[in-house]
Parts: sequence; C-alpha cells; structure tokens
Amino acid sequence: MSSTPTMTAAAARAVNARKSYGGGDAAVHALAGVTVEFPEARFTAIMGPSGSGKSTLMQCVAGLDRLSSGSAFIGDTELGGLDKTALTLLRRDRLGFVFQQYNLLATLTARENILLPLTLARAAHDDAWLDEVVSTVGLGDRLGNLPSQLSGGQQQRVAVARALVPKPDIIFADEPTGALDSRTGMEILGFMRRAVDETGQTIVMVTHDPHAASYSDNVLFLADGQIIDEMAEPTSERVLDRMKQFEG
Amino acid sequence: MFKIAWRGVRHNTGRYIATLIAIITGVAFFAATGFLGDRVIDSLEGDTQRQYGEVDLAIVLEDSDSTAIQFEGELRLPAAVGQQAAAVDGVEASAFVLTGSMAIDHDNEDPDTAVGRLWITDDALNPLELEAGRGPAEAGEVAIDTGTADDNGVELGDTINVLSFNGSDPVTVVGITRFGDSDSIDPDGTISIPQQVAFAWLSDGTEEYQEVYLRATASQSDLQADVSPLLPSGFRAQLGEEFLQDKIDEIGQFGTILKRALQGFAILALLVGAFVIYNTFSVIVAQRVKELAVLRAIGATPKQVRRALRLEGLVVGLLGSAIGVVAGIGFVFILDFVMTIALNVNLPGSGVLIKSGPITSGIALGTIITVLSVMIPARRAATTEPIEALRDAAVESSPYTKKRLYFTATLGVLGILAVLTASSATLIGVGFFAIFVATIAAGPIFAVIGAWASRPIMSRLGLEGRLASDNTARNPQRTATTANALLIGVFLVTLVTVAGTSMKDFVVDEIQKIESADYLISSNGGTLDVDLINSLTSVAGVETVESYRRESVALDGKPSLVSTANVSTLLDITDIEEADGTLYDLVPGTIAVQDDQGHELGDTITLADPRGDTVELEVVAVLEFGIDIEQVGNLVHADDFDALVGDTAPTVAFIDVAPGVKTETQEALEDHVVDRPDLTLTDGNFLGKLIGSIFDFLINAVNGLLGMSVLVAVIGIINTLTLSIFERRRELGLLRVVGMVDKRVQRMVRLESVLISILGTGVGIALGLFTGWALIYAVQRLTEADIGFNLAPGRVLLVLGVGIILGILASLIPSKRSTRLDVLEAIQAV
Repeated sequence: MSSTPTMTAAAARAVNARKSYGGGDAAVHALAGVTVEFPEARFTAIMGPSGSGKSTLMQCVAGLDRLSSGSAFIGDTELGGLDKTALTLLRRDRLGFVFQQYNLLATLTARENILLPLTLARAAHDDAWLDEVVSTVGLGDRLGNLPSQLSGGQQQRVAVARALVPKPDIIFADEPTGALDSRTGMEILGFMRRAVDETGQTIVMVTHDPHAASYSDNVLFLADGQIIDEMAEPTSERVLDRMKQFEG
Repeated sequence: MFKIAWRGVRHNTGRYIATLIAIITGVAFFAATGFLGDRVIDSLEGDTQRQYGEVDLAIVLEDSDSTAIQFEGELRLPAAVGQQAAAVDGVEASAFVLTGSMAIDHDNEDPDTAVGRLWITDDALNPLELEAGRGPAEAGEVAIDTGTADDNGVELGDTINVLSFNGSDPVTVVGITRFGDSDSIDPDGTISIPQQVAFAWLSDGTEEYQEVYLRATASQSDLQADVSPLLPSGFRAQLGEEFLQDKIDEIGQFGTILKRALQGFAILALLVGAFVIYNTFSVIVAQRVKELAVLRAIGATPKQVRRALRLEGLVVGLLGSAIGVVAGIGFVFILDFVMTIALNVNLPGSGVLIKSGPITSGIALGTIITVLSVMIPARRAATTEPIEALRDAAVESSPYTKKRLYFTATLGVLGILAVLTASSATLIGVGFFAIFVATIAAGPIFAVIGAWASRPIMSRLGLEGRLASDNTARNPQRTATTANALLIGVFLVTLVTVAGTSMKDFVVDEIQKIESADYLISSNGGTLDVDLINSLTSVAGVETVESYRRESVALDGKPSLVSTANVSTLLDITDIEEADGTLYDLVPGTIAVQDDQGHELGDTITLADPRGDTVELEVVAVLEFGIDIEQVGNLVHADDFDALVGDTAPTVAFIDVAPGVKTETQEALEDHVVDRPDLTLTDGNFLGKLIGSIFDFLINAVNGLLGMSVLVAVIGIINTLTLSIFERRRELGLLRVVGMVDKRVQRMVRLESVLISILGTGVGIALGLFTGWALIYAVQRLTEADIGFNLAPGRVLLVLGVGIILGILASLIPSKRSTRLDVLEAIQAV
C-alpha cells in the first residue's frame, strides 16, 4: 500500500474480514482474514481465479452479504452493526451497483431505470448532471425505450448511468463487461474511468479480465481468500503476466 | 410415460400446490354436498318409513283446493267414523292422529310452545320411540320429546304444567320420546298425551281426528272396499303402499332438489378452479420452456410432449380429486354448521352418509375438469421449438391483439343488442351468454386498461405502487385468468343481489298495494269468546274487531272453508271484493265462492259437513283473489251456517287499527295471545313479509354458497402471485440491492394482489349490475310489469370492499415470500 498517499481517506475498507460457509472440518473459507482499503476517487480492480473470494469480498463490503468475523466499513459506518433495513437504505443512499446481467426493471423505461435509486429515495435529481451522464454513455435518444427494446450494450449503459447519476460514495461493479462484446466492454470501462478522473467517483470492480483491470488505478489480487498482491498503474500485459504466475 | 408425468408432478410440487388446493376445495365441496344430500334423503326416507311403513290403509283428506296457504282449521274426521273404521273386520291395530298447539309452563319461564299429539298405542304404527319410561296411559300423564325435556330441564317423573284449551294442567312426565335420528317429529317439540284428554286439550272438546291409519291382517284392497263407504265427503281411504310412496316422493323431491342445488354451486366452484388449473399449467409451461425444448431437441415429438403434460394434469387431477373426496367428509360438518348458524336451516339427519355416488362422481368431475384445463397449455407446450432451449426463459407474451379486441367488441355489442331489443326469451338468453363470454375473453384487454387507468393513482403510493400497476399488465393473459376466476363469483353475487332485490321490491310493493285487514287473530280448534273480543277492542289504536265464524267443510266433495260474517264490515276493513255479483245478495240458500273454483253465478253447490249433513246453495257472488279471502274461504248466510255447523262461537277475527300506530298496537295485541297457545296473531300483510323474507333468504343462501367459488378464486390469486414473484425474483433482488426496503417490496406484491382483485371484482360488479338491469328491463318488456331497478348500492359496495380485503388476504403469503430469498441469491438467480 506504499503507492497510496496516506492523506487519501478510504471510501470503504475491510478489517480482518473472514467469511466461511459450513462448519467444522468441512468449512470453506471464502475470505480468510482480509484487510483492505478502497481509497476515495480511485478505480480499484479486484482480480483472482474462480473461488478466490473476490466476489465475496466485494459483496461483503457492499452490504450485500455479511462477514463471519471481522468488519467492513463504508466511510465510517460499520456494516455489521446495521440491520437489514438500514443496510438497504445505506445501499440506496450511498452506493451504486453494476452487474454482469444488466438487471434492469422490465416495465420501466431507460430513463426511469436510471432514476430508480433516486425515485426510491424520493430524492430530486439534477437535470444537468443527468443529461451529462446520459450523453456521456451515449443514450440520448433511447431514454424512452423499455429494456426489451435495447441491445445488451445499451442496457449496460443504462445500468452504468443508474449507478453514476445519484453520485454515490462508491460504485461496485461485478464483472460489468462479462456479457458484452469487447468493443462495447471497452466503452463501458471508458465511462467508468472518466467518472473517476473527471468527477472523483470511487469505483470498485471485480473482474477476471486483465484488459478490464487495466482501466483501474490499482489491482488487488486475491487467492484462497487472501490478498496476495497488488499492482498500481496496471496494464493488460502486466496483469496477465501476474495472473499466469498463480496458475503456475 | 406415466412415470415421467409422476416425476414431473413430484419435481414441481411447489408449483402444483395451489392447483391441488383448488381441485381439493372444489371436489371436497362437491363430495360434501353429495354426502349431505344423501344423508338428508336417507334420513327423511327413514323417517317416512318409520312413520308410515306399517300403514295398510290411511284415511286422509281428498286433495284439497290449490290454496297456497295451509290452514290450521282443516276438515276433520268425526271420532265416531274413525272408531267405526278401526272396528272393521281384519283390522289389527289403528292409529288416530290428532295434534294441536300446546305449551310447557315450567320453572316460571315463558311458556315453551310445542305440538300436542295423541299418543299412538300400537308400537308398529307409532312413529315415536320411547327413550325412557312408557307411553302416557291415563289422564295426568304425558310423554315429551328428549329435546324439549333437555331445553326445559325436565326429567322422567317430574311434574310440569302444560297449557292447552283446557287451561293449565299439572301432569307427570312418564316417558321421554325421540323420532329416528331427530329429537322430535315436530320442529318445536312434541307433547304426547293420552286419549282420555285428547279431545279436551287438542280440539276444545270436539270429538274428531285429523287422519286415521290402520294395520290389518286382511288385504289392503279388501280393507279399502270396506272402509271407503264409511267415510264422509272430503275424505278417502288410501292403500298403505300408495300412501307411503306419496310421502316418500314428497320428501324425496325435497332431498333431491336440495342435493342438486348444492351440487350446482359445487360444480361452479370447480369451474372457477379450472381457471386456477389452467393458469398454473400455463405458467409451468412458460417456466419449463427450456426443459421442454431440451426434450424436443433430443427427439421427443410434439405429440409426446403434449401427452406428457396431459398426463401430469391427469395425475394432479386424480390426486387432488381423491384427497378432495376424503376432505369432503370433513366438509360435511362445516357445511352443516354453516347452514345451521348462518342460514338457520336445520338439515335432517346427522353425521356423514358415505355412498359411492358422490365419491365416483367427485373424482370423475375433478379429474375431467383438470385434464380439460390442461389441454390448451399442453398444446402450447407441444409447439415449443428445440431452439428455445438456447434462448432466455420465460419470455413474456402479450396476447393483447387487435383480433381479440374486434372479436370481443363485436360479440359484446351483439349480445347487448340482443338483450335490449330481442322479443324472445331464448334470444335474450343467448345475448346474456354472449356478453358473458365477451367479458371473459376481453380479460387481457381489461387487464391492460386497468393497469393504465390505475397507474396515476398507484404512482402516488410510491414506486412500488407504480411497479405493481405495471406488473399487472406484464402478462395480461395471466392477470386476466386470475381475475376472471374471481369475476365469475362476484358477477353472480351481484346479479343475484341486484335482480333479487329488485324483484323482491316489486313483488312486495304489489302486495302492499292490496288493502288487506291489518291483523288476523285465529284460534286453532278453540273459539274467540266475548271477553277476549271486548278486551281486544279496548286496545288503544284498535278501531274495529270483526269476529266471524269459520268451519271446514267439503265443498262439492273437496275440503274447503266456509264462513259467515257481517258483510258490510267485511267489505269495509278487508280487501275482499266481488268479481261478479254482490255480497249484499247473500240470503239463506245462497253462497259467495272464491274465483278459483270455476263457478259461475247461478250454479248450485253442495256443502257437506263431516257428520254427513249436506246443504245445497246457489252462487250469488264470485269473490276476487286476494289475501283476506284466503282466510274466509266461501261466504254463506248465518242461517245456513247454523243449519250446517250449529250455533258456534266465532273462531277468527279481522282487526282494523288506526293508521300510524301499528307497532304499539301490535305489542298490546300480542300480550293477549301469550297465555293462549291456540291463538295466533298474524299481520294482515304477512304475505308480503313472508315473500320478502323468502327472497332475502334465497339471496343470502345463494350468495353464501357462491362464497365457495370466491374462495377458490382467492387461491388462484395466491397461486398467480407466488408463481410471478418466482419468475421475477431477480428483478425483486435488484430492487432490494439498489435500495427498496423489504416492507416496500412486500407492499408492491400486496398492491398487485389488490389490483388483480379489484379488476376481478370491479368487472364482475359491472357485469352483474348490467346483467341485472338488463334482466329486469327484459322482464319488463316481455311482461309489461313495472319493475323498478334497485341498484342495492350498499350491498354492491360491500362486495367491492370484500373484494379488496380478499386481495389483501391473498397477498399475505406471496408478499412474505417475495423477500424471503437472500438478496444475493435473488440477484444471481438464473
């Protein structure tokens, strides 16, 4: 963590996070004591082979799942102390999400889907900012369409816009390009990158794609439930090389 | 193949549960009505057999006039004639039937009325059994039925007071009786009394019987030949077997009608269940498209896929029907309880009578309806293309096509035109059917319109309201089928309520228009003495008390009534009117007859009293049909009445009260009747009240029984919602991830449920109101009767309210389930 300037506050962090399934000898440890910080206004990628615990780490920090022991924080809020409803409200007010399966509501238009978290919070939106996000992700003339009238790439743009518009403290993206062709995937990653650079958005992304990871500021490598390495200023080639090492 | 089907059912148990419950409920109701009907028929037949099985010859009334109301003072057989008949050669035993009003006055409570009954000494002919003690044998002894004994806390050997014409008498209870499965042969209880006091207590001293039954060693027909000549005019001797058959037919008809009526409602509930079954299988096919496509890809022919689905239907149908029949046994008790408590109908017999009829027909009906409901989904399943194995599952389809719109609109308009303009009942009926079919078929269109119309209001309830509104239009066919199941019940409830209330108002109004006497007071077997009449006249508010003499006679051989009264008072305070001739012409030797006997002025009529005296009279007036005339019968001059009947005291009186004080007067009048069990006070317009209450009872009974199909429809809503939230679990997961708290998610499901039920209830009410109105309008057009349409707004609003509550109730389970899944699992679900 030497590359991280100490004055940068953590948008989210985990301290000695453990997560196990089952018990006794048969217990599986998805997270075996992870301590990590996700700095503000940075784009962090989490990588690792299947079963390394990368999704579990993200889900626990994002308040979608609970740790077996240790603690997870969003800002200064410890998630373990929140009940189900408080967690839901925290996700609504402070977090954004992008999933591999676009996960849009079929009966809402693109625009309504984008405004969904704000509608749920009964919060007003900033028209100028909405326009800016929409034009950035290139959805200008598609806002009135239902998800079923959009292509996969367009649906994911809606999902990214939905995450960006409320200006959350942190956006969690789980394999956001997994279901897209490579060109569309690159565009989506480009929007995320720009959000970090231009507006100081914090993003945490789980991926197994070295090329996707190269858009981040910093890559964390997980294996067997532990952080085994990290890489600042990643490039596709370096990430790929590093990945090859664990398999070897 | 059966094995695959069975596996299919087992694998999808969760999805089939609602279907099973729908079938079970419908079949259970059907079987229960069958069991109950059989029980009632059996018990009644058993009672009849017990009562009349040993009778070889019965001396009964000739078929009496077709008057709608049965009178207490019917023609009776002189006791001497009965004794003569009983003494005929070959008669082994005889039963003399004589009943009258009595009451038990015990423990200083209000007297408890019961039927006094002459005890029949022959065991074979006596319908009653002794539960304890012995039959009453001498004056001062009685036997009472077990129910009355319990109600009054009377035990064997107790001394009680009984009220009768004889006043109050202390008697010893020497026997406790019962009648087959029932406590008592008479609904209000039975007091059995010995011959020694029978005439004094039951017929005010007149020696007469109502009927006589004979048991004989001689052949029935020989006996008939010997007895018939002894009988006075108005009576006949009927062979025992014919007599028994008549009685069995009479009660068999009642039982069969009851059974058919109840089963009609059960079949309706099953048909509503068909919607639930159809819906479930449609959803299952949609959700299993991938599995079916794989089957097709590996070489199953469309026919095999179709057959597999139908077999699943068969398995579910058989299973549900079999469980339903078993559940039906328990349902009998519920049905019995509901009839007793809610409708105040005590069905004869007790417990459950299990016959094979309801079992086989229940299983057959349930299975057939299930298999038929599966036909369309099975055909759809067979059209699954192998390529769909590779596509996303559960593609939502919208059958909201222009074709459907044109079809239903055309059918509906034609139906409405037929109903409003046709002049034949058949065509109007076809019109109603067309409207009904169009409404059911237009379900998906209503679903879409409903979602669109409700959206602005629902949006005010927040995003969950808006989404609930959207969700109802997502699969309009499914929403429509769910709502239609409810629609059918609500439609019928509304129709019966609105049309029934309108008809009731019309009939009751028509009767109210008749200016009949205000009250009638009559004595069953006794007389109205001068003191009583004076004290009635002195009641505040009473203007006139016109007492008159009435007697049962045979008029041209048929039992009938003849009265004599002051003609001008009668014309003044009653609705009696001449259709032909005038009552003022009534002099000795003449008679005024009722219109329905086919007599004309100048005809000669023979009146005969039971002792055999006859008199011939000329018709000088024909009286119009009315309420009061039924209480008078035929009018003669006092001289002729004296000659035929004797100089007797009056038995009946019309009472005219001042306008506006009826309630207070009625209470005062009732006080006079309390201590005399033989006296009855009836509202002059009792017919209107009676008919009104019959209508109310029918409306309530029909609506209560329709509740069963509404219940099945609610199961359908639960089913649809459960299947839908399963399909949308990922979407629900996302909503929760991005910040919809569980309470709002549950509220969304609840609102969707309420919307579906409002859709079903609303369209059902609209259809019911229209049909009710159109029905009244059609009747008006065809009969020129001026029937007002009664919207019964209170009742209709109640139905709507119940619909909304049902929607909320139906959503309880699905809304809980909607957030049961872990957020992560939900969002990752495939």
